[in-house]
Amino acid sequence: MAEYELDCFGEACPIPLVKAEKELEKMNVGDILIVAIDHSCAMKNVPEWARKQGHNVELDEIDDGEWEVVIEKMK
Amino acid sequence: MNIRKNAFYKAWFKDAWPYVTGAILLSIFQIVTLATTGNPWGVSGVLAYWGAWIFELFGGSVDKWYYFASDGAQNTLNNGILQHGGSIRNIGIIIGALFSSLAACQFKIKKIKAIRQVVAAILGGLLMGYGARIGFGCNIGALYSGIASLSVSGWVYAVFLFLGAYVGSKLLVKFFM
Repeated sequence: MAEYELDCFGEACPIPLVKAEKELEKMNVGDILIVAIDHSCAMKNVPEWARKQGHNVELDEIDDGEWEVVIEKMK
Repeated sequence: MNIRKNAFYKAWFKDAWPYVTGAILLSIFQIVTLATTGNPWGVSGVLAYWGAWIFELFGGSVDKWYYFASDGAQNTLNNGILQHGGSIRNIGIIIGALFSSLAACQFKIKKIKAIRQVVAAILGGLLMGYGARIGFGCNIGALYSGIASLSVSGWVYAVFLFLGAYVGSKLLVKFFM
């Protein structure tokens, strides 16, 4: 079970979403992807997309205006 | 008591409002704007006046420019920014956006990651600004207020907005991924 990190600080929508999509494709089931974002609309669309795909998602507010979307690849 | 755990604070200031709430509020306020001023709500036309005022600060003159040739435009320019409802509304948007991000503890000055972000922002801004003026409105004045006024031009704008967004998203993936 590997853990991957994606630094998307300073990147506006929809780039974090497209990057997360591509990264997740390369990963194995059970792996964890942590997407670091500071664009508030990505905190909505990245978790929404990942949940729709059936993955486990958690959103952490790590600092003022900074979030980590933790995605566990389920399939 | 910790304000971060307060339900009222969370609902009003921390969590994003639902899209429907935003849509209803925008509709109400654009009706109020149209009813009280006689003009539909617009955003980018105001920026043209801001540009003209800045140009005048540096000693320039736009009196002879076709865009500002009408009496209405000359009056707006002469009366100044504080007498211009559109400017007040735009300033309100900026202050309101700042307040909401501060109130939610989500204000952050983002780092510029790559020079291509700067290039894209400047190019995109110029294209949007030029397009909004040549099209007599942006997605507020031409699209939103256009459709709200039952104008066909708003729908035409919408079709080409989608075409542009499609091309734009392809370019985005090509240059930023």
